[in-house]
Amino acid sequence: MSAIRTGLRCSAMALAAAAVFGFAAPDSAAAAEKFKIYLSMSYIGNDWQAEAQRMISAMAASKDYRDKVDLRIQVAGPDARKQIQQINSMVQAGAQAIITFPISPTALNNVVKNACDKKVFVIAYDAEITEPCAYNIHIDQSEAGRVTGEWLVNELHGKGNIVVITGVPGTSVDKFRTAAAKEVFAKNPGIKIIAEVPGMWSQAVAREKLSEILATHSWNDIDGLWMQVGCYTAASMQIEAGIPTDKIKPCAGEAANGHRVQMLPPGAVEGVDNSYKPFGYHSISYGSPPYSGALALKKAVDLLEGKQVPKTIMLPLPLAKTGEMRLCEKGSWEEMKNGCNVFDPKLVPPGWFADIFGPETPEVGFGAALLGQPEE
Amino acid sequence: MSALVANGLPRRPRLNLGRQRGLIIAVAAFALIIGVLYALTPAGFSYFDFSFMSAGGATMVLAAMGETMVILTGGFDLSAGAVISLVNVVLATHMHETGASQIGWSAAALAIGALAGAFNALFIAVMRLPAIVVTLANMFIVQGVTLLILDQPGGKTPDGLTSFFTGDAIPGALPAPVVVVAVALAIWAVIKNSRLGTGIYAVGSDEEGARASGIRIVAVKFATYVIAGAFYAAGGLFITAQTGSGDPLIGAPILLQVFAATVLGGTRLGGGRGGCLGTAFGAYTLMLTINVLLVLNVPAYYSTVAEGVILILAVLGGSFGHQSRLAEYGAMLRLRWQAWRNGTRPSALARVSRRLALDIDPAAAPRRGDELAGAAWRGWVRRHKETLRYVAPSYAFLVIVIVVTRIVFRAEMSALPYLNSVLVLSSFLAVLGLGQGAVILTGGLDLSLPWTIALCGILLTGTVEGSDQAAAWAVPMVLGVGILVGFVNGVGVAFLGLSPIVMTLAMNGILEGLALVYDNGTPHGWSAPALRWFMTGELGGVAPAVWFLIAFVAAATLLLSRTSFGRRIYAIGNSVRAARLSGVAVGTTLLGVYMLSGFCSALVGVMLTGFNGQAFNGMGDNYLLPSIAVIVVGGTVITGGRGHYLGILGGALLLTALSTALAGTVLPDAVRHIIFGAVVLGAILALREQSA
Repeated sequence: MSAIRTGLRCSAMALAAAAVFGFAAPDSAAAAEKFKIYLSMSYIGNDWQAEAQRMISAMAASKDYRDKVDLRIQVAGPDARKQIQQINSMVQAGAQAIITFPISPTALNNVVKNACDKKVFVIAYDAEITEPCAYNIHIDQSEAGRVTGEWLVNELHGKGNIVVITGVPGTSVDKFRTAAAKEVFAKNPGIKIIAEVPGMWSQAVAREKLSEILATHSWNDIDGLWMQVGCYTAASMQIEAGIPTDKIKPCAGEAANGHRVQMLPPGAVEGVDNSYKPFGYHSISYGSPPYSGALALKKAVDLLEGKQVPKTIMLPLPLAKTGEMRLCEKGSWEEMKNGCNVFDPKLVPPGWFADIFGPETPEVGFGAALLGQPEE
Repeated sequence: MSALVANGLPRRPRLNLGRQRGLIIAVAAFALIIGVLYALTPAGFSYFDFSFMSAGGATMVLAAMGETMVILTGGFDLSAGAVISLVNVVLATHMHETGASQIGWSAAALAIGALAGAFNALFIAVMRLPAIVVTLANMFIVQGVTLLILDQPGGKTPDGLTSFFTGDAIPGALPAPVVVVAVALAIWAVIKNSRLGTGIYAVGSDEEGARASGIRIVAVKFATYVIAGAFYAAGGLFITAQTGSGDPLIGAPILLQVFAATVLGGTRLGGGRGGCLGTAFGAYTLMLTINVLLVLNVPAYYSTVAEGVILILAVLGGSFGHQSRLAEYGAMLRLRWQAWRNGTRPSALARVSRRLALDIDPAAAPRRGDELAGAAWRGWVRRHKETLRYVAPSYAFLVIVIVVTRIVFRAEMSALPYLNSVLVLSSFLAVLGLGQGAVILTGGLDLSLPWTIALCGILLTGTVEGSDQAAAWAVPMVLGVGILVGFVNGVGVAFLGLSPIVMTLAMNGILEGLALVYDNGTPHGWSAPALRWFMTGELGGVAPAVWFLIAFVAAATLLLSRTSFGRRIYAIGNSVRAARLSGVAVGTTLLGVYMLSGFCSALVGVMLTGFNGQAFNGMGDNYLLPSIAVIVVGGTVITGGRGHYLGILGGALLLTALSTALAGTVLPDAVRHIIFGAVVLGAILALREQSA
């Protein structure tokens, strides 16, 4: 008896919860003519994912697409099984196309195959899905590793001790980037890797790991750094240690705005902090651009409209070296097209990803990446 | 009741209902979520929906059944996710298209799981080491081996395997995963009704009692861990079939979900009550939340909040009814109210000293000066022998790690920066260790650490905006937020009787959502300059945080070992019932413990923003497992009641020193995992003497 009562209470609460979270259910009449497109994200608890998601939302809200697309965003978390379940449910719920940031390049293969069999287009952005029926939009990770490795070797004239901070071990992206860079280092016997640690693509972890490395090595022993995330942090730590800005070690690293601001010539823009300021950091900035998700949405619509889309779209690698940095005034797509690639430190935090310019995505600019608003 | 028995009336049905309460709630929660889903799906369920849903939960059912058996014996197994990954990569790299290869490697997969289980069992059952540390060490080692076998996603398993496990047993009527789950449950039914099953429940209910009844404890525990390992492997086999490929990271995120499924299924942490049938329902309930979120179209940032709420709702059923914790507290309140009205409260009684008074001649008592200086020291050692035994090994290993570090990095390393780095980095774990340690001492676990840290950090930088004046009120504010988080956790655990794992795991998801809603995905603002100086500046040769750490350690040691609050924590950990009968306010103390943990997490959030200068989403994610590791390495028993803060500090210093030593090298990550696991295992092997 008590169990039955318990059950009743439970259901009452669940209904209340359903009411709270039930802001969903869009009027189906308006949605009827639109393409039903689902976005399956994996983890959302980091800055890159949030930025990519805002750009996708902005694309869906842009004037060419707002009447065409009914976009629904779902989050599966870091667990591949949940993403499998989620993509299956999306297919069952009548998705016409699914764009996804896949948590694993291989684990989704069977479920993606199943979706394709039911005539649902699946487009992966940034990371890859190896199932042949899936569409993939990403950069060439090996090229990223190779180019940045070569830059560092040149910067050090082929000789010196370097510290390597990698990404998340066990992922393809990390493997491709790190292996390509280390191949370059191996060809240059003068380059010696004195410490190599996974940085988990997190500024916080990069700082922790660099602190650990500096417990057993001093900045004097280090001639350069190759990092997937963390050049901004490395420079901050050297500034805190009292190293003059012109003596800061060269670093090959990410496309965070903090890093790019540091690469501007001194005085190019007012800094907001002792670290988040321009000083002509010797550096090369690369990254996986967060507009890839927005482009995936465009390509999904193209596919649904019967246009041809290549299975793999290799995005141009967003590279910028010291001396090539140009501050954006407003950050419109037009302005970025003309070459601006770094934003005022007063407008965005240093961990914000600045490589938002996509040649094929004029609908999304600074406003999209920051606030989820499309270009007018 | 005794009259009923005397009259020969059957009493079994009623008793059974009480005992099956956990299972009933699990089934009710499952039925409810299916019902909601069905009501919200206009088209209804097709056979394909049924098939997908059955496949979606099968991996977790299998893994969680293994975990359930371990938990029923009073154990704890952190290696489940790692074993799933290991089996996955082995199969993806070795299995061929031939039938023989598929059958052979499937069997080998189960054997690998059983072997990993036997490794656990050897140290836990035979050598009697604490389960959580052994399985933690095993988890690291297995992760390392997994990365050695396959260091990035890849490989392919035969399509035959996929269709065998995820296809149809009877086309159009019965999906294969349902058969898999049914077979697993049948195996469990056989185990449960065998002598082993009796042993599992007996050991988990009362180990001493079981021993006295002639149950072979070692054999029961050994068999349980081995079988559990095979079940994890079965989960790994299933997910391999489901995905048709290998990914070395596939198992890790399953671990916490496995615990949630077990608890959701009505199995009680600490052993003796529950079962695998409930676990199966719990696992499917968890998986179906994904579908519920989809049909409700819950916005992205609210998804973890909704998941957390669903998780709590699913177990909240257990909080009502006349046997529940809530009812217990209601009854106690009524008693107190009556006592107040009748004037029979303890404080209203006449205050007569009831202390034992011994007639000792003061002149005959030994005087201080009589003791030799050495004898006093020896006396202290004798009195604290027990504590020293479990605190000392972490320090001994710390010394070894430092010496080895010193030898390896002789040329480059200088003492002061090394000391400073290790102390600053270990301060995070030392602070977390107090909160998590206090929670663990009471037999609980706080899984809400990661996003309490991140939320507090994000709130801090968002409100401080780089100003010291603002920090003066913002720091107390976020510490208050941390205490509030702990308060809610504490209310759930202490007064609603929710399992700490479910409550704090759900809370973590809710906080993640709140943080993302607050910062809209991108944390803004800066830490105050004073906080940055505190973590990265210099005062007397080291960072100011080092001096703070020393003060914190002194305060924490006093709190746990010299205050009545500390005494109550140990009392609850030893026995809730004995503590309650001794007049310990159990609920209030538990509430205080979770608030302490929330406070410590918030403090680490503040310290991390000072250290980094900013806050990041997910900045606390890497602290959850280490926060548990330092506590067990420091000699604290996970089931509560024993441990010392100085041991926890030793654990924090040891793990940080080890991590520091490894960071300065170019060892492959796989090898690092293995070394880390081996050192953790070594540290507890040194603890072995006192456990035996």
